[in-house]
Order: sequence, then C-alpha cells, then structure tokens
Amino acid sequence: MSEPTSASPAAEPGTRPGDSPVTSGAEDVLVEVRDLKVHFPIRRGFLRRTTGHVKAVDGVDLTIHRGNTYGLVGESGCGKSTFGRAVLQLEQVTAGQVMLDGIDLATLSGEALRRQRRHMQMVFQDPLGSLDPRQSVESLLLEGMKAHSMTGDANQARARLRELLSAVGLPMSALNRYPHEFSGGQRQRIGIARALSVEPQLIIADEPVSALDVSVQAQVINLLEDLQRELGLTYLVIAHDLAVVRHISDQVGVMYLGSIVEEADADELYSRPLHPYTRALMSAAPVPDPEVEGRREQILLSGDLPSPADPPVGCRFHTRCPWKQDTLCATSRPTLLPVNLPDVPAAHKVACHWADEIERGVIKPSSSRQAEGPQTGQIPE
Amino acid sequence: MGIPNGPRTWAESKKKRIDTLAASAGRSGRGEGAGDGPGGPATGEAGALKGAEGVSLLAAAWRRLRRNAVFLIGAAIVLVFVALAIIAPWIAPHDPAGRILVDQIRPSNPIPQPQPGFPLGGDSSGRDLLSRLLVGARQTLFVGVMATLGGLSGGVLLGTLAGAFGGPIDSLIMRIVDVMLSIPALLMAFTIAAMFAKPTQWTVIMAIAIVQVPIFARLLRGSMLAQRRSDHVLAARALGVKQAPIVIRHMLPNSFGPVIVQATLVIAGAIIDAAALSFLGLGNPDDRSPEWGQMLGKAQEFFNTFPHLAMWPAACIIVVALGFTLMGESLREALDPKSQR
Amino acid sequence: MGRPQSVPRRTAQAAGEPMLRVEDLSIKFVRRGQEPTIAVDSISFDVQAGQTVGLVGESGCGKSVTALAIMGLLPPRGNRVEGEIHFDGTDLLSLSDKQMRDRRGQELAMVFQDPLSSLNPVVPLGVQVCEVLERHKGMRHGAARRRSAELLDKVGVPDPTRRLDEYPHQLSGGMRQRALIAMALACEPRLLIADEPTTALDVTIQAQILALLKELVTESGTALVMITHDLGVVAGLCDQVNVLYGGRIVERADRFELFARPRHPYTNGLLASIPRLNSPRGQRLKPVPGSVADNIPWQVGCAFSPRCGAASELCRAEAPHLERDEGGAGHEIRCHHPVGRPSESADDARSAQDE
Repeated sequence: MSEPTSASPAAEPGTRPGDSPVTSGAEDVLVEVRDLKVHFPIRRGFLRRTTGHVKAVDGVDLTIHRGNTYGLVGESGCGKSTFGRAVLQLEQVTAGQVMLDGIDLATLSGEALRRQRRHMQMVFQDPLGSLDPRQSVESLLLEGMKAHSMTGDANQARARLRELLSAVGLPMSALNRYPHEFSGGQRQRIGIARALSVEPQLIIADEPVSALDVSVQAQVINLLEDLQRELGLTYLVIAHDLAVVRHISDQVGVMYLGSIVEEADADELYSRPLHPYTRALMSAAPVPDPEVEGRREQILLSGDLPSPADPPVGCRFHTRCPWKQDTLCATSRPTLLPVNLPDVPAAHKVACHWADEIERGVIKPSSSRQAEGPQTGQIPE
Repeated sequence: MGIPNGPRTWAESKKKRIDTLAASAGRSGRGEGAGDGPGGPATGEAGALKGAEGVSLLAAAWRRLRRNAVFLIGAAIVLVFVALAIIAPWIAPHDPAGRILVDQIRPSNPIPQPQPGFPLGGDSSGRDLLSRLLVGARQTLFVGVMATLGGLSGGVLLGTLAGAFGGPIDSLIMRIVDVMLSIPALLMAFTIAAMFAKPTQWTVIMAIAIVQVPIFARLLRGSMLAQRRSDHVLAARALGVKQAPIVIRHMLPNSFGPVIVQATLVIAGAIIDAAALSFLGLGNPDDRSPEWGQMLGKAQEFFNTFPHLAMWPAACIIVVALGFTLMGESLREALDPKSQR
Repeated sequence: MGRPQSVPRRTAQAAGEPMLRVEDLSIKFVRRGQEPTIAVDSISFDVQAGQTVGLVGESGCGKSVTALAIMGLLPPRGNRVEGEIHFDGTDLLSLSDKQMRDRRGQELAMVFQDPLSSLNPVVPLGVQVCEVLERHKGMRHGAARRRSAELLDKVGVPDPTRRLDEYPHQLSGGMRQRALIAMALACEPRLLIADEPTTALDVTIQAQILALLKELVTESGTALVMITHDLGVVAGLCDQVNVLYGGRIVERADRFELFARPRHPYTNGLLASIPRLNSPRGQRLKPVPGSVADNIPWQVGCAFSPRCGAASELCRAEAPHLERDEGGAGHEIRCHHPVGRPSESADDARSAQDE
C-alpha cells in the first residue's frame, strides 16, 4: 500500500493472481506452520483442576507461498478459526512452529511479537462486532498505524487514509462516521481497510463473507481479489462455504477435528476429492442449479462431529466414514501424504489409509448410507 | 411538540415518507432519504452512505434521551434541587442556625407553628424549618454525590485492574470484593463511620464510598471481561496496539455505560444511607449546618405530635432519590445496545 | 409419518382450492409517533398439498415476517396485518387467538432457524415433545412418550428413548433441529413452515435435514413453505419459488424455469454473483452493487432500481406490477425491463449482456 492506489480497484475485471502465480520456489514461502497444536485445558470443580484438554488444533502442517491464497474449509468445531488465531498468536500455542518470513512467531512474546503484528492482519466474520462501536472510522484506521509509528505528519496521515478508503471503495466522508452507520458490506470494507492500514504481508480472513447478504458477498470477494493483485498480499481464507473457498483459493486444505485431512490445488481438489470426508462435503454442498441438484449423488454422513475433547482413536473420521474398513481405520491415525495414483500430482495429499483403493473403486461405500437424486434422500441411522 | 400543524409542502411530506420507508428496509431510521432523486447518479458498488454527518453512539443516546419524558422529569427534579442547593444561602428567608422562634417554645408547645414569615414553622430549637430544608439540600446532595464519586473511582480502579489483567490479580480483587459484598451495606457503613472518633461529613462520605466500591468494581469487571473477549478487542490486539491503549480506548469506554447508570441509581441510595447515618447519630453532629437525614433524626421524638417536622425532610429525600432513579433508568434504556437500531 | 391413510397428492389436480392461499398480505410495523414501516407489501401466493414453495430473499425482505403472520405468531401490538390467509377455506386472520392456538401445532407447524433458542433449555426434550402430543392429540403420558420416541427415531435421532430424558444443551445442533422437526411433525400437520431451518447448521448436517424434509413432503403430502436466503437450498427442494425484494414478490416461477431463465435483474444478479462449485475457476464474480439500504420505497418506484443496471427513469418514477411473463409457463415478474427480452432502451441492453 505504499504506492497510491488508483480510484476504485473494483473498476476493471481482470485475471486473478492465481492465473500467473508467483513461481513457488522454496524462497517464496511466506508462512510455514509445522505441527501446530492448540489444546485448551478443561477445568472443573472448585480448585479449577485441569481434567482434560480440548484438542482444537492437533498437529497441522501448512505452507503458504507469497502472493497466494490458501483456503481452509471445514465445519464448525473443526478448529479452523482457532488455527487462524493461533497463526496470528492470538491464541496460546501449545506446540509447534509458525514461521512468518523466516521468523518463528511462536517463540516471540511481548514487544517483539507486537512489532511483528504489522506483517500479519486479520479480517473478521462479524463486521460490526469487530469494529469498536465508539470509534470513528478515522480513529479505527489510524490506530494500527499509530501503534507502529507509521502515521507521519497530519498530511501524510490524511493521504494515507484517502488511499485506504479508495482502495476499499468507500468515500472520504466515511471518516467521521461510526460503524453502526454503515451497511454490513460497508462495515466489512472498513474491517479490510483497517487490516491494510499497517501494510501487512499476510491477511487471515476468517469467514469474511458469511455474515453478509448474498448479493453483497461477491463485492467483498472481488475486493479481496483486487487487493491481492494490487498489493501482492498473501491470504489464508477460512470458511465453511466450499464454493467461496474454491473461488478465491490457489490451494485448499480440508480440516476435520483438528487436523487437515486433504490438501491440494483448488481445481485438483474439487475435480478429484480423494478423502471420504471431502467427498461427503462436496456432495452435500447445495448447488444453485436444479438440474445439477436433481442428478447428483449425495453421500449423507451419519451422526455428528465427535467431541474434540475426546477424539476417536485412529482415523478421526472413521466413526462417520461410509468407506470405513475393519483394519487400520480404528487403530492407526493416517498422516497427510501424497497418494499413489497415476496423474494425481504430488501436491495432492490425503490423510486416509484407503484413499487410492477408494478412488480406484476397489472399496465400495456401505450402501445404506448413499442416496441418489433428491427423491430418495435417505435418513441416516 | 410545539410545531404548528400547518400544511406541509409536498416535498416535505414525501421526504418524510421516504425516510420512514427507507428505515423499513432494515436500516436505522436516521436515513436522510434514500435514493438520489429521479435521474440521480447510481450508487457505487459499496452503496451510498446514509445521513449527513457521523453520529457517535453517545450522541445518538443523547438524542433519544432528549425526547424521553421520564428522563426529562428526572433531570428536572435533580436540576431544581441542585439549583436550590446552590442558591440556598441567598434565598433562605432566615439564618438556618438562628434560633429566631426560640421564645415561642413552651413545655406545652415544643414546636413553633407555621406563621407569617415562617411558612413551615420552626423546629424544636426554634429555627426556621424552610431555611433549614433549603440549606440542607446542599449538605445532602454534596454528601450523596461525593460519596458516589468516591465509590465510583475506587470501583473503577479495582474493576479495571481485575478486568484488564485477569488471572491471579482478578481472583484476588474479586475475593476481596466478595467479602465486602457479603456484609450488609448499611451495617458496614455504620461500622466504618463508627470507627472514627469524631464523626464529620467526611467520615459519612468515606463510609458510604467504601461500601459502594465493590458494587462498581464487580459491575465494571464483568463488562470488561466481556469486552476482553470481543472481536474488536481481538482486532486491536491483532493490529499490535499496546495493552494500555486497548484498555483505555476500547475496553473502558465500552464497559462504562452500565457503570454510569449504576452511579445515578447509587446517588439516590447514598443520600438515603447518609440520612440513615445522620439519623442514628453517626453523621455530622454539628447541627448548625443542617442536613436532611439529621433533621429527620431530630424529628423522631415529635413524630406522633408533629409529624410535619419529619415529613418535610423525608419528602425531600424521596423526591431527590426519585429524580436520580428516573434519570438512571432512562439512561440505562438509552445506552442499551439493543435499542440502538 | 406412519399415517396409514396417506393424504392423496393433490398437486396434480391443480383445480380446486389450494391448501394455503395468501392474498394481498400486508404487514406494517406501527410505532407511536412514527409513520408505519411496511415490512410486507401485498404478497400473494398459493401452496398445494404435497408442494414445496420457497420464499427467497435477503435480510429485511419480509420473508420471516410473512411466515410468522401465517402462523399467527406476530406480537399483537405494533403490527398491522391486512389481507387474507386462507388455510383450507378458513381465513386464519379472522380466527380468535384460541382458535389459532388449536390449529398451531395441530394443522400448522413451524421450524425455526435457531434450534437452541426454540427449545426450552430447562425442560427435558421428551417432555417438550410429549407436551405437544398431550395437548393436541389428547394422548396419555405413556402413549405420548412412546410416540415421541417413534418420532425422534423417524427424524433420525439415534437412541431416541435415551434422548427423551436429555436436555437441549446436551444435543448437537443437528440433533436439536431434528428434535424440533419431530415436534413440528408430532401432530402430522398439513402445512409446515421452515424458516431458514439449516442456516445455523453445517453442510453435511444440512444435507441430512434437507433430505428429511424432502422425504416428508413426498411421503405424507405435507405442504412445505421453505424460507431461505440460500439459492442452493431452493434449487434442490422447492417446486415453486417466490423471490422477495423489499417486501414484495419480484419474481415467481417453478425452480427449473427460474434457474434456467431468471427474468428479474435482482434474481439474475444474485445468480451471477454467487461463486459456483462447478464453474471454471478464475472467473470474476459479478456482484449486485450497493445493499438493501439503498432501496427506494415501492410507493415511489421500483425498490431495486438504485442497485439495478437496467434501471431507467420509468423505474424510479413508477413501480412495476407483478405480471405474467409472456414466454415462460407460469413465470411472473415485477419489472419494467426484464432480463433477456429484446431491448427497448440502451439501459436495457446493459443488463441483457449479463446473461
């Protein structure tokens, strides 16, 4: 954001950054997360004794290349939001490394960590709740800059504010207004402008559009893409909406109960989901097209997400998996590895003992759980 | 209100209608008229901004308060008494300490009756009751407000420390507060006031202030903790804002609404507590400077024969307390985030 | 529903009175000292037995208020409800509170978005389901309990007998929503209104619940009014779709027609703005500009015109009527310049390009 941005970035449609990716050499890695764990103690009784742990994030590895977007999908309770906050060191990390541009954030604290916050920012799900209701937009936007001594003199600050607002498509008259005076989409633009104010390299967006009206979601998605192209930002987008994640991401990871079960380039993942959970997720997502809805096969999962305080032994998905086998699944926890199949790229990794057998059709799903078409929707037992 | 109900121009009435209808689309009713009029420019992708200028939450609350009858009545009562208290020395018809009617006191008639120049009569020492009531407003309000300010400051300090730091500091402060709250407030005030060898108005203020500290501390700590977990505080942390500005700029202002409301309600209680202390002889013994609670205390021996002696100061206490309570309740309503839209 | 004499599906015989006929329903919020705000503005639609009708729109379009009005659940103060709601030949709006109470739960039932706040947190689930059966069906406690367990089993709650003694907070979100549906189905209602029943749920759970609702409609001939903002849910479930904007129906068609040939610029814009799972990646989304805050009142012109690329002078001066579209079968639109018609003005051409 050091260069003044011209007018509204939403003006001209263009190609997305993923079309001409910054070559993903090892030196271009911005974020590298190694075996990240976030366990929350469960305290009970008068003495607040720790009686167990909620393993919200339980061993996640993830690499994001500079200028790329990594999409993290999963259902509520899978630990994706906790993961995002842990990367930003807004949650206490239990174990693991979070390297941002070569610096391990997990070892930093106090002032050293505070200084690093300039380089990583967050966009929140609830645009109203994440803006202090008693601060004007001007002071919201200046706050981060002041914290990092980036404001300069009054004229420079003014110019910077103008630049920020025009980047997110808001008029200068927004400055002396308060968050409650804006619509949902406008508030989210303010939240994005605030994140941009400290010129970060990484932005973690946690469900950035799910609280917005459908007609407004596309505006914010486009804005995020435009800003990425203009400013060379790196995104980690956390969402439950598969279509949104697919649209915005270069790489997608699917999270289930604290760990990533499948990871691949967005197109690859969506055209060839290999993990049974990813398959179920994709088949369950409603598509706004009655023809497609009428044709497709749905894999209806039985039951609910197990408690992260007491995750299943072995593969965490085996309690709901239609392809569950008698060996391995209930005893050994699979790791995220490339699959042994022709024409599946090495970047496509799955944490499933039987991924290639399932893909080759050697293993069939237990039939009672599969439904075809809309008319025969089965109720899982 | 006072606006003449004359014919409105078409433009006016149309604009008004647009305003209210725009509000129905799920936005705050302060819209300054949607649309840019026929042929106006289409709005940008982000949509148009509504209203003429930025209105902070406080300003919006004030706008609502100005139109709230309950608040206006409460404020009027309080203002009248405050004004009377300020100008009391000049408008009091007689010296409140002067025993002007003392020669009318007989064993058969211990209280001077109302008479020309003394509309409420005198007290058992022959002093003018009206003058004493007027001048007494000063003392009473002063004690109530000072005690509340004292309690507020102490409570805000403790509550902020507990809410901002959490952990062991929070636990320690809250245990102290719990202990204080477990003792009946008035009993504690008596004990504190009785600890001083020579009661003055300051001992009364101190006693009542200390009793109020835990109320404010607990209230503020509760809303500070809620703020600590809020997204906007998380956002400020993520921005790299230091701890002190986060507490002072984000957590405190957003936690203060309930505390302010509580303070107005507590003033009423403080006035009554001060009266109770005076009534029991723990207040300022110097009866040359009158105070309502103390007047009430003196009046008790004549309660059966001359009830008006007690009724006047009691009525004053009740009305002032009511004024502060009305203000507090309507403030609570106006500051309630649920009534913002 | 285990009902032996399953209600014959009347969808085919389009003749005769529909099960639910909403006519010119208007709902105004009246506050003292303020002019009334219009939440719903003469909405009309029919629902046949065994049919699923969708009410689709964004926040503030009046869809939930319509549902509450049909159920007679709008608070009596502060609302003015006009028009007619015929259910089986009776105008629900003319019924007394008591008559309405008897019908609610018995013939009409509703499922809400937030299952947790719709259940009483301090009463075991079984008691809450039994209560419905005892009140409306006059069942004895033992029978009601057995029937409750059957119902929970029917909607896919595992181990239903044990669940009867659990409290709502002990159940997961999906289980709670199932329990609510079980309660709604307890008296075999003929009309079920589902207000965003899956919005609070995860995708995989949503799929389970939608499949359950679908089965219900096909098996027992219950009529379903589905209220949602999610076009994906609509595409899979609704026979007839009503698109609401600013309190009025702007487009109505059956789902295949609507998704294949959206005629109203709002519907068209919505469909163009959502990212698709099955569309090629890298395509830029075409957002609908502005937000509902930009709407102008229908009394002045078309409420959507400030956000509409095809809007003309006419749109800002005069509100269009809901009219039958010449081309489509049963397709109705409220627009001066519908999408996909040979253009009449330069403005119109712009929107046609969006197709």
